[in-house]
Amino acid sequence: MNDPRPGQRFSLDETHDEFPKQNIEITPELRFSPAAASQPLIDAPPPEVDSALDRALAHPRKRRWGLLTLLGGSLTLGAVQAVETFREAWLGSDWLAGAWSVLGFFAVGLAGAMLGRELFKLRRLRRHARLREAVEDQDGDTFALLDQLRKQMGLSDDDPHWQAFLKAHQQHHDDGETRTLFAHHVLAPRDARARQMITRMSGETAIMVAISPLTLLDMALMAWRNLRLVDRIAALYGLELGYASRLALFRAVLTNMAFAGASEIATEASMDLLSMNLAGKLSTRAGQGLGSGLLTARLGLRTLKMLRPLPFSESEAPRIGDLRRQLWQQLKQVDKDQPS
Amino acid sequence: MALTLPQNLNDLLERTLDRQVRLAVTGLSQAGKTAFLTSLVNQLRHAGLDARLDLLTPVREGRILGAQRINQPDLSIPRFPYDEGIAALSSAPPRWPEATRGISELRLSIRYRSRTRSRHLLGEQAQLTLDLIDYPGEWLLDLPLLKLDYLQWCERMAELMTERRKHYAAPFLDAVAVLDPTMDADEQQLAELAARYAGSLHKARNEGGYTYVQPGRFLLPGELAGAPVLQFFPLPDLGDADRERFAALPAQSIYKTLEARFEHYKRTVVGPFYRDYFRRFDRQIVLVDVLSALNAGPDVFGDLRLALSTLMQSFDYGRRSLVNRLFNPRIDRLAIAATKADHVTPEQHPRLLSLVEALLAEPIKDLRYADVPVRAFSLAAIRATEARTVAGNADQQQPVLKGTTQDGEDVLLFPGDVPEQLPDADFWQRQGFTFTSFRPAPFTASSALPHIRMDAALDWLLGDKLR
Ligand SMILES: Nc1nc2c(ncn2[C@@H]2O[C@H](COP(=O)(O)OP(=O)(O)O)[C@@H](O)[C@H]2O)c(=O)[nH]1
Ligand SMILES: [Mg+2]
Repeated sequence: MNDPRPGQRFSLDETHDEFPKQNIEITPELRFSPAAASQPLIDAPPPEVDSALDRALAHPRKRRWGLLTLLGGSLTLGAVQAVETFREAWLGSDWLAGAWSVLGFFAVGLAGAMLGRELFKLRRLRRHARLREAVEDQDGDTFALLDQLRKQMGLSDDDPHWQAFLKAHQQHHDDGETRTLFAHHVLAPRDARARQMITRMSGETAIMVAISPLTLLDMALMAWRNLRLVDRIAALYGLELGYASRLALFRAVLTNMAFAGASEIATEASMDLLSMNLAGKLSTRAGQGLGSGLLTARLGLRTLKMLRPLPFSESEAPRIGDLRRQLWQQLKQVDKDQPS
Repeated sequence: MALTLPQNLNDLLERTLDRQVRLAVTGLSQAGKTAFLTSLVNQLRHAGLDARLDLLTPVREGRILGAQRINQPDLSIPRFPYDEGIAALSSAPPRWPEATRGISELRLSIRYRSRTRSRHLLGEQAQLTLDLIDYPGEWLLDLPLLKLDYLQWCERMAELMTERRKHYAAPFLDAVAVLDPTMDADEQQLAELAARYAGSLHKARNEGGYTYVQPGRFLLPGELAGAPVLQFFPLPDLGDADRERFAALPAQSIYKTLEARFEHYKRTVVGPFYRDYFRRFDRQIVLVDVLSALNAGPDVFGDLRLALSTLMQSFDYGRRSLVNRLFNPRIDRLAIAATKADHVTPEQHPRLLSLVEALLAEPIKDLRYADVPVRAFSLAAIRATEARTVAGNADQQQPVLKGTTQDGEDVLLFPGDVPEQLPDADFWQRQGFTFTSFRPAPFTASSALPHIRMDAALDWLLGDKLR
């Protein structure tokens, strides 16, 4: 963008041309022979999105140059060392040392590949976040962006959901209309699966915590279940997570939860308290289970909202209230079956 | 304001449950009301089957079971000629539905499943009654007359007389110029002048393309043809100063006679028309044929703008409560539609949209003030063209329309850019846009009509009632 230009005065007798007729280009009627070759109007092919935006995930991205240098350096040095040892062993016919150095080289290669994979997966997560932003801001041709999104979600060209979307989409649809259709045909089935998964897994977590005998075990359970849930939701939207990207995402989800609007937290907390009140009617263990289940559910919903390629519209957004009752009912069942 | 009682107990019940909607399809003549209604019935009858209504939420969610025409409440009013319209469209060669000559009514019952919280359960079956009327657009412009007295009307008509319009009214203007309104009335002379006035309206409407022509019954008198109630006309060159002078005139003077006839016209023709058909709406769609006006030049375009903003003052807008839903319904949601959008290529739709918003800027401001949600659409009730591209110059694909003109000639054309704002003198000088009338695409009576954005408009107008 240029800076807004300041006001400027011209004297009236300054020589001036006719009023410049810029920017209003009006194309007159054009007629073509009906026999002229014409093709059906197709939407433009998707251009490569290489937006300079680098607001990956929720927080500003900073490269860990130190860590990267350390890791990359040790790997390179390790490799050099292994090759060097091998050469000496070869010359000295020291077979044992040679075998060790081959093994060492192999180990270094493995570590390097792992590091590369991690970096690649992290990049994919960032790219997903960027694309999501571009679609949201209507940055470019919506249809092209959605096509890109389809590819990222790992859907083939003849995926039935995508085909249903293509069938519904018409040339004259505007950006908003196109996105509504995409959300309905491509995302809604995945949203439903994600929601089912959150319900199921939070219920399972609640029950596991309720019947587990050890507090330490509870904590391990929670960590394991929650990471697993985040993983599965990401997979639904075509994201495969590595260790680093999983942690990055998990951290982003937690930050996001912590910074969610104060009012939202307040209402959610009071509702939780209310259900805790109800939980008074449950045993302590079941009450703890309910708390953990709710936390898992909340985390799951938050992940869903963060990863879904298009933001939820007001009416579709999943709410925690629906899950709460289900959880409580499940836990009452546990209490009945397991008199303490 | 008097209360409007629902017509019978059943209606009262339906309205209490919010299961009845009266949709006002408003538009001047040739705006596309009949085409819109025909398409609406057709789309809803084919909803969930072969109609493409992806933007209508209940259809997308698979909850619409179907729609049927049912008996209308007032049996003395003709039924909307839907079958005739479909027959015309499916004849060979296809024709547009006949122009409307009188009032007709239509009641549609829409069956749907209500939405449930869980996706797996089927909702309860529910029903929505949709009431629609069709009428000649010419008569609509009579509604603003109700707020004017004779002298004000004469002033209003004088303001409309642009140079170009004077040309169509020349025979009338010449004759009326020598008339002395203080003289005693001569029946023969008044009838003669009224005939000339009607002639000038016909010419302005049919040759000039003007829409602001009053009174509407002069163009389409129906059963009133030749009755003295239609024998009046506006006197030129009157001002507020004349009011007192003329008030003292005897009853048989020309001025007083014209005034009495004007008042009579308002009381017996316009009043009942308004009371019976235009007071009980819940939703409204205003159809505007911007493209023809754009083609006709600056004079007609300005005229259309004036006509629409005057017209929209005749409706009641406002938020609803249960009480006024029952006894004093108001329009609580409104769509503004640029019709015949199949006359432009798809990439021009955003421009068409902002143009129609600019055209109706004044009424939209009032609506915002009344806190009534408005949305603009570019739509084609019955799509007659197909969008394609041809290789243009400089490697660019030139979007074009493919269709058949009214004369049966196949054409491939780009109609020109639609201006995004109210067009300025520069635009008119270069006259970018050309409007070509198309014949409807071939169609078999048992299928759904092709359309542009009917689904989005219906979703806006009815979507919240079909939950
Ligand atoms: N291409 C096209 N033309 C239309 C459409 N709707 C109306 N028209 C044209 O406009 C004319 C008047 O339409 P009509 O529905 O009779 O207008 P009404 O006077 O408001 O009832 C028709 O004869 C058609 O030529 C449309 O959706 N597409
Ligand atoms: Mg009509």
